Formats: sequence, C-alpha cells, structure tokens
Amino acid sequence: MIKLEIEKRKNVGLVWQVLSFIIALFAAMIVTGCLLYWAGLDAIEAFLAVYEGAFVGVEAIVETLVRATPLILTGLATVVAFRASVWNIGQEGQLVLGAIFGFWVSMEFSYLPYYLLIPLVIVAGFVGGGALGALCGWLKSRYDVSEIISTVMLNYVVIYLLTYLISGPWMAPGEFYLHTAPLSENSILPTLLEDTRLHGGFLISIVAAIGIHVLINKTSFGYDIKAFGYNSVACKFKGMNVPRTLVLLMMISGGLSGLAGAGELFGVQDRLSGSIAQNLGFTGILVAMCGGLSPLGTLLAAILFGGLVNGGFMMQILTGVPASMVYVMQAVVLLFFLCSGLMATFRIRIIIQKRVKQ
Amino acid sequence: MEKLLEVKQLTKKFGEVVAVDTISFDVRKGEIHCLLGENGAGKSTLTECIFGYYHPDEGTILIENEVVKIKSPNDAISKGIGMVHQHFVLVQPLSVIENIIVGTPAATLRLNKNKTIKKFDKLCENYDLNIDANSIIWDLSVGQQQWVEILKALYMDARLLILDEPTAVLTPQESEKLFKILRQMTQEGISIVLISHKLNEVMQSDRVTVLRKGKYVATVDTQKTSKQALTNMMVGREVIFRVDKEEIPVGKPILEIKDISIKADWGGDLLSQVSLSVHQHEILGIAGVAGNGQKELFEALVGVLKPNSGHIFVDGTEITSAQPQEIMDLGVGHIPQDRYKEGLIGEFSIAENLILGMQRNPQYSAGWFLQKKKIQAFAEKCLKAFDIITPSQQTSINNLSGGNAQKVILARELWQSTKVLLANRPTRGLDVGVIEYVQKQLLQMRQEGYAILMASEELEDIFNLADRIAVIFKGKIMGILKTEDASIEEIGLMMAGQQI
Repeated sequence: MIKLEIEKRKNVGLVWQVLSFIIALFAAMIVTGCLLYWAGLDAIEAFLAVYEGAFVGVEAIVETLVRATPLILTGLATVVAFRASVWNIGQEGQLVLGAIFGFWVSMEFSYLPYYLLIPLVIVAGFVGGGALGALCGWLKSRYDVSEIISTVMLNYVVIYLLTYLISGPWMAPGEFYLHTAPLSENSILPTLLEDTRLHGGFLISIVAAIGIHVLINKTSFGYDIKAFGYNSVACKFKGMNVPRTLVLLMMISGGLSGLAGAGELFGVQDRLSGSIAQNLGFTGILVAMCGGLSPLGTLLAAILFGGLVNGGFMMQILTGVPASMVYVMQAVVLLFFLCSGLMATFRIRIIIQKRVKQ
Repeated sequence: MEKLLEVKQLTKKFGEVVAVDTISFDVRKGEIHCLLGENGAGKSTLTECIFGYYHPDEGTILIENEVVKIKSPNDAISKGIGMVHQHFVLVQPLSVIENIIVGTPAATLRLNKNKTIKKFDKLCENYDLNIDANSIIWDLSVGQQQWVEILKALYMDARLLILDEPTAVLTPQESEKLFKILRQMTQEGISIVLISHKLNEVMQSDRVTVLRKGKYVATVDTQKTSKQALTNMMVGREVIFRVDKEEIPVGKPILEIKDISIKADWGGDLLSQVSLSVHQHEILGIAGVAGNGQKELFEALVGVLKPNSGHIFVDGTEITSAQPQEIMDLGVGHIPQDRYKEGLIGEFSIAENLILGMQRNPQYSAGWFLQKKKIQAFAEKCLKAFDIITPSQQTSINNLSGGNAQKVILARELWQSTKVLLANRPTRGLDVGVIEYVQKQLLQMRQEGYAILMASEELEDIFNLADRIAVIFKGKIMGILKTEDASIEEIGLMMAGQQI
C-alpha cells in the first residue's frame, strides 16, 4: 500500500524561496496566457511585448526603474512592519499624507534655494507618513487597537483629506480640475539621467533598501523587530519596551511610504492631484510578500512589478491587449507565490507500508 | 495470566524520526503495567497507536489473541480501550454528564441523560467517588476533572485503561487514592497501562516495560527490580541519585515579598496576601499543584503583572510596579514556566536567544549595531560550559531538544543575573540527565550567594533542593516549613488546602 504524507521541512533555504517565486511567475504567466487565449488574443506575443517594454533598451529599463521607485519604498515599509507581525495596511494613506506634507512645505518655503528645499520636502514626506504610522502604533500599544483596522480606516481619512484639499483650499486658482497649482520649480527632484524620467527618488529608494537591510539584520532594533514578530510574549518577559518598539517601527514604516509619496510628487508628477496614489501602497504589500519580506528581495520584486506595469503599456501598443492585464498578472503571481511558499515549507513523502509476517 | 493486549513489532515514524522502533510487549488481564522512559522514548506515541489516534507504519496489535486494526479512537473505544491524556479533553462549560454522553450512542437529538446518570452514579458508588453528574466541569478541581476523564473511559466499558502521567496534577494524598482505586479496578479484571516517570509510582505496578529512544529495553516484574535498576535501563548508564546539598548559613534577605494580592477579572483572588522572603545562599521552594497562583506570583516578580496591593523588594529597592527591564537590571533572572512561550524565540538561533534581553547591552552592541563577534564568542562559551548539544550556535531553538533549550535559558539567566533567580518548574519535561544538571546548577548558584525562589510540582525536586518549603493553595501561602522539619504528608495536606 502506498501512502502520501506531508511533513514540514526543517530549513527553508534561499534556493527554494527563489525557486518558488520563479515557479509562481511561470504559473501566473500560464494562467494569464490561458485568459488571453480564451479571449482570442496571442499570449506569447503579449508576454514578449511586456518583456520588451520592460527590459529591452535603456529607455525601457529606466522607465521600469521609475515605476519601481515608489514600490521599493512601500515594499520596504511593509517589510519593516510585517517582520514584526504588525500588519500595516496603511501604506496608501501614509504615502498620500507624505505627499500632502511635502506639498505644504514646498509651498510654504518656496523661497528657499533648491538645495535646501528639496531635502526639506523629502523630510516632510517622511514626517507625514511617519506621523500617521506612529499614530497607529501608539493606538495599538496604548489601547490595543488592531493595526489592520486603524491603518485601513486612516487610508480613507487621508484620501478624503486629499480630495478636500485639492478641491478647496489648495485648488489651482481659476481652474476646473481637481488639482493644485504646479509645483514650485525649486522643489522638483533632480533628474539622474538626462532626458529620462529617472529622478532622485530612485536614489532615495536604493539608499532606503540598503538602510533597511542593515537595520533589520545588523542592529539591535532590527533584532527587536524580528524577535517581536516571532514571539512578543517572550520579548515582554525579557524587558523589551514594547510601546516604544511599536511606535518606532510603525513610524519608520509609515515614513518609508511617506517618502514614496514625496518621491512620486516631486519626481514624477507636476502637481498634487488625485493620481498621486494609484494603488502604489497596496502593490507595495504584494511586492514585499513576493520579496520574501526581505529588503533586498523586495528591491528585486519591485523592479519586476515595475517592469510588469511598464511593459504593460508596450503590450497594449503592440498587441492591443489592455494594459490592465498586468494587474491581473500581479494578483495571480501573488496567489501562486503564496502557494509555492507552501511547497517550499513542506515536502511530500511516499511511504510504502510493509505487512509484517507473523 | 491471560494476555489482554499484545503489541508485536510496532513501528511509527514521523518523517525521518523513528518515534517507535519495532516495539513488542503485552499487557495481562487485571495487571497494572507501567511504561517507563524519558522524553522522546516513545511512550506516548506507542499508546496513541494503541488508541487509534496514530496509525502504525508496521506491526500488529492483538486483543485477546485476535489481530485487530484500530482505525480511530472511536474504534479503540468500541474495542474496550480507553485513554486518559495528560492534557484533559473535557469541555469546560458543559456538565460532567454532558461530557460523558458526547460521542456516545446516547447523544441523539434528545439527550437521554437519565440512563447515563444512573450508570455514572453506579460507577461512582463502586469506587467510592463523590462527583455530582450535573456539576459543571470548570467548577471541579483538577483532581476531580481527572476522575471524570477516567469515569468517561469506564462508562464506555473499557477493559484496558491507558493513563498518561495521571499524578502530574495530584497531591500526594490524591495520588494514593488513585492507586487504591486502580487496584480495585484490576481486581475487577480491568487492565491498566500507566505512563509515568515517577519511580515511586512505578514501583507500585505489577510489571514495567522500559523504553529508550524509541526502542524496547526490557519488561520486568516490579517486585524483582529496583528504582536504581529501572533508571539505569531508562537512561542507558549508571545514574547516581543523590544530590549533595551542603549546609550553608543564609545571608540577608534579598527578595522580599510583602502581602501581595492580585484579583482576577471574575472577582476571585489569584494571589491573596502572599508574603515570602528569600535570603542569600538560600533556595525557597514553593510546593503546590499547578494553577494555584504560581504563574501569577512569578509574573508579578518579573514585572509583567501588576499586583493590586502589596510590595516587592530586591535588595532594598522596591520593584512592585517596575518594568521587566528595571527588574532585570537589578540582577534578577527568570527561568519561566513555559520555556518556549515566555523565555525563548523558537525561530531565532541559540546565539540570538542567549542575548535575548541583552541586545542593547554594551557587551554585545556598539551604538545601534550588534557586535556579531562578541555574541559568537559568548555563545561558544555557553555551549561549552553547559554542554549544549547542537550542530552549531546558529541552529534555531526549534531544532533543539527540550533539555538543551532549557540549558540555553539556564546559561543566559545565570549570566545575566547576579542576585536573584526565579525558577518556575525548572526541571519540567526534562530527561534525568538534564534534571541532574539543572539541580547541580541551582545548588551551585545557592553556594555563590544567589537567593533562589523555585516553584515545582515535583516534591522530589523541592525536598532535594529547597532549604525551606512554602506551600501555595488557591493563591494563599498555607505554611512555610524548614525542609528538614517537613514531611511529605504535611506538605501534601497543605497542597490540598488544609491549614496545619
């Protein structure tokens, strides 16, 4: 008699984690491919177009990096929180509030020279997102408010705040559209590569990725974050200042999303409007999960997701497949990735049962 | 004597781990048969296979010389096998009789309680037990709950009763009563398989089967063997029992607990006016069945639970409402009752666990950064000094045995603390070899001048190590005696709530 048994692996190696992501990717492509085929479209052509649009040629790569920039930051924001088992789902709101703070500073201090104003708006972005994150961290530590509820609810509050600002006090004078006046020249992030959209925000996101990697793996606070994520009870018994840890890590998490907001505003957009968010916050969560909740993995996953979005446009132009298909792909990739995570953690054993002779 | 149950060459594997390795043994009708062995020896797995909870990979089970296939606990029960686990499977908010009916044919849409109550009452009468069939489980004492578990099995007409560590939650007097009733059952033809590591009880059985690391060692007639011989078989080598505790004059009181009270949400008292003081060079043992306030007392001492009233001092400094970090800084160490939940981070490596609580200490960090080299050196030292068996210091705690995990905690707490050690069930679930080690360490610390407060359910530990014994019952200290003046009977009575 043959039996199948499932048992947990002792150590999930890096190889398996990367392999599981690649398998998830392929599975997602197959599923999306089937959808396209069913709709009467050419899947292979579509995927090749995505690849071409994402990674072929300097222009394509640069645009992919531009798309990846905010995702790296919101992804890192997710990593910092999720590693501590604190489920921050407020990246969207934290990003927007960062942009709001940044905008306010750029208007208030528009008389400053660019080398002062630009760092100032970036810091403002961090402060905006960070304050919101810290608030949620405080609510959790003081009143045991679920961070899932507080962060998600505050997302809505911030989005409505944005709508109010751009349709009221900050609305561009004399215009009908819901947006602010153009940003002051001296607050706009410098371009890293001539004639491209690659802006200073990309540099910030790379520095942030390295910084968070060091934070989590080499500092005492990183130790706290991981320890708290695995076993908060033992941490309490062994003297951890839990409220301080919670507020601090949520502040960092929110701040990273705030940086993403400021980066998008002053690097890509020309004014503050409703299109500042575009689900960059939520996609950051996907990116972090696919990156295995590691800062460097998140960096890679963000570039991949950025490539998908970028390539989607090329796909639409070349093959007529709507660009929004890439969002379907993103979702499918995550689903398969979560399943493949199971594959990496468990393995199947085949048992052949012998009958003992009396 | 006839065989009731026979197990032939039973093997059970979990992945690569062979929990039970071709074990054969038999149980005669009307005997008390003990299964003896250390943790991981395979006793529980073996009995779970007999009870149908696990399916053996190889081997056969015979009941009254007929081969049977036991597919589930239900199947086992219908064949006359009953099992009482170490952790009860009673439904707390339901009544005794409801717990007995659940899963039986009487549990149809209309619960036919009356028939069940009659049969239950008759069983109680037979064994001289006083349990009201309609009482709710959570109103019963732990000892009584265990009786309900046993009666559940008897109600289903069990001919073979498997008991897993039944006296772990009983006072000495309650244990005595249990054995008396077990004997009565055997006289009525019921066979009993007793899993126990308490040699005093094992010596009361008819035969003992010793297991070691999943393998069968021997089956002996209890009359013809001794505690020493059994221990040697269990461990595989000579084990000396004696614990050398020298006479040391105690120093000044270091840990002073004055009138600590903690109320529960439901209005009752978790701790009621607890006063204790522990001196330098002293081990104060707290005896009591688990759940009588030990957990709350230690949590208050560590700073995780705030008392409603009273005061706690460490070497003159008040710590009643202090945070855990402050208390640690005063030199207080803690060996928690639940080592994995309260003292270790399973996914972290041994090295990382050794510095838990000290991750900001200048010894192991510089500014924001962890000093990996210093941490590694410290871990190496600990591994050697405490003989922790592991492939490397980077191995995660989850891959260590319970004994080695406890050693990690011991190493860390010894290193971090200077004045006081709070040890809550320090030898629980550990093998004989590690228990020896832990006892030695505690005595060593006593010699160095630590004030040690130790809670344990094992009276043997308390009598071996403690200079004075305090008994706790329902959150109150029933009495404090010098160990040399105390007797097991007195302690047992106090553990059951009687004031001496």
